Amino acid sequence: MIELQGLTKRYGETRVVDDISLTVEQGEFCVLIGPSGCGKSTTLKMINRLIAHSEGKILVGGEDITTLPPERLRRRIGYAIQSIGLFPHWRVADNIATVPKLLKWPSSRIAERVDELLALFQLDDEGLHDKYPHQLSGGQAQRVGVARALAADPDVLLMDEPFGAVDPLTRDTLQAELARVHRQTGKTIVFVTHDMDEALRLASRVALLNAGQLVQYDRPAELLVAPANDFVRDFIGRADLGLKLLSRRRVEEYCRPAQRTRNNAIASAPITWQVDANDRPMALLGGRLGESETARTVVNPEWTATPDMSMKEALSRMVWFRVTALPVLDGEGRLLGEVTMAGVMGHRP
Amino acid sequence: MSVSHIPTRDAASARLVANRVLATLLCAGLLAAWLLPFATMSPNRLASGQTVGLSEALSAWQVFAFLALSAILAVAALRRPLPRELAHGVVLLASLGLLLITLYSLGDYAQRTLVEESPSARVSQGSAFWVMVFCCALAAIDAFQRAASGWLLRLGYMLIAGGSVAMLFASGHFDDLSIMREYANIRDNFADQFITHLVLVGSALGPALLIGVPLGLLAHRRVRLQGTLFSVLNFFQTIPSIALFALLVAPLSALGNAFPLLGEWGVKGIGAAPAIIALVMYALLPVVRNTYAGLKGVPPATVEAARGMGMTTRQVLWRVEIPLALPVMLSGLRIVTVQAIGLTVVAALIGAGGLGAFIFQGLGQYAIDLVLLGAIPTIVLAVIADFTLQMLVVLSKPAGTRR
Repeated sequence: MIELQGLTKRYGETRVVDDISLTVEQGEFCVLIGPSGCGKSTTLKMINRLIAHSEGKILVGGEDITTLPPERLRRRIGYAIQSIGLFPHWRVADNIATVPKLLKWPSSRIAERVDELLALFQLDDEGLHDKYPHQLSGGQAQRVGVARALAADPDVLLMDEPFGAVDPLTRDTLQAELARVHRQTGKTIVFVTHDMDEALRLASRVALLNAGQLVQYDRPAELLVAPANDFVRDFIGRADLGLKLLSRRRVEEYCRPAQRTRNNAIASAPITWQVDANDRPMALLGGRLGESETARTVVNPEWTATPDMSMKEALSRMVWFRVTALPVLDGEGRLLGEVTMAGVMGHRP
Repeated sequence: MSVSHIPTRDAASARLVANRVLATLLCAGLLAAWLLPFATMSPNRLASGQTVGLSEALSAWQVFAFLALSAILAVAALRRPLPRELAHGVVLLASLGLLLITLYSLGDYAQRTLVEESPSARVSQGSAFWVMVFCCALAAIDAFQRAASGWLLRLGYMLIAGGSVAMLFASGHFDDLSIMREYANIRDNFADQFITHLVLVGSALGPALLIGVPLGLLAHRRVRLQGTLFSVLNFFQTIPSIALFALLVAPLSALGNAFPLLGEWGVKGIGAAPAIIALVMYALLPVVRNTYAGLKGVPPATVEAARGMGMTTRQVLWRVEIPLALPVMLSGLRIVTVQAIGLTVVAALIGAGGLGAFIFQGLGQYAIDLVLLGAIPTIVLAVIADFTLQMLVVLSKPAGTRR
């Protein structure tokens, strides 16, 4: 979908982007990441020609971008930046309608599309349609920014640190929402960030840049288990490499059958779950650090796991509640299986 | 002991008086009314006359209204019993009332007196009159500031105040005043010069905008040009206006003589041509500077987003940059308009005409009424222009950023 071939940007003698080649496939979520000044933002802006490249070639949908007038190219590519990029003198609806208006869509189609996008970003029930950007919360403004980028239904979406200026809680929500929108729309996204957790959470592929050069371009898991060199390891955070890896894994991958019993007398295995008539876990027999092997611990909803929980969170719960196993529950609270400390350790990354 | 006594008394008076500005203005107005002459009466146009105090000039009901309105203003200045918001409204109404009473009384006095005196006798306004008018205007302006009122209210108030004064004039109430008799003598000429004044201001503002706005845009786009451009414009601004008018006389008359066709079009050493050129030169700096500052104030991220969405350079300019820069650009126009209205007075010296003609003529003849006939309309014009453009600045603020 997007192909960078030997892409280079020179300012005088300095090469801020140096011979980068990579391909972003259709529907891929590619995150460009690296330290400040590594050229990630420059690379992104060369794709929609906000910055002209010095050498190399950029193909979007198989077409060399220099064959199109820049405005035509940009109207085909969604572009989102931090919320200050919203036009302060236009209402939310007008902001979202920017590109469709430039493309001279009929007004009924524009109105329809705006409503569709407001619904997609759950902005429809708050009367936001006619508000001005300064009346929005940070999270709302950011969602309007992404909705605006998607307005003309572009195949490609470029995002330049869009969540850089929002608080961590809002950022978390926005990331989840963007992941959902990506799943729903199947857009090809190129996303710039300097936050490794954000990259690992959202990316289907990560391009790690340093000093203008592409250091590694891989799936997030590969980046974690097979870092190309020390720079990659350092940038990911050598100290919590293992935790980063676990944050990419889900509980269901580690879940294994649990040993059950209906009475509290006998533990038939080192870790046994006492369940009620509906197969809901009531207590853990054994498996508590510092207690005897038959100690009974009543199951607390805070130290249970669900299949789609990240393994990092599951491990964190085990550590916090000092248990070596968590029951994995389905939607009705029935015991699906268990994840154990030994299981975390035994699993090959 | 005595040192600590002072702040205590201060605090006590602060508790009593909520609006010190109003209290001061009221004191000044009353003091002037008591001590200074309200009007002067002279046997003819040029002779100096005898002064008339307020108590002498006003009829019984006028004195009563004057004292009553002053008392209301005094109460409004106090912390109690009126709540603050209500007090501001009361000040606005009472000061307008006081202004109208002052104006009315002067005209009324002239009418009553001149019935008895000879037709050549003249009644003019005295210093107390000016102080009172000035205090009323300041009290109203101060009340608007304190109430942080919206522009619609201000507009309404200005229209009512201006309308009532205009009606007094139109009804012939002031016709017996010295200044209005002077006006009656020059009525036709006055209308001509008034229009000349407006035409001069207008024909300077047009080119100033046509040249200045693109220059401001250029300064914004080409960083390297800024230094030279602004130092040249700053240099124009430092030349005294009389000197600039005089400096233009020689080259323009040479030009007009060398090319007779230009001379036929009005390019001459004296008259409108040098006046307009000088006014344009003075107007350029504020126009260029405010255009530049307005464009510079548009967040770069907003412009980048606009480009990234696929707007052409022209679309970015007209849809994003200019709408967001417009309030600052218009406040430049406001400065320039008020400045041009004032400078055009000086242009009368090089034969351009305008209201300045009366001022210089009056100065030459020691006819103070003639000077005022040039000065007062100039001031009124400047105030109206300032107020109108201030409204436009507020209205031009993008709805999303207007407060």
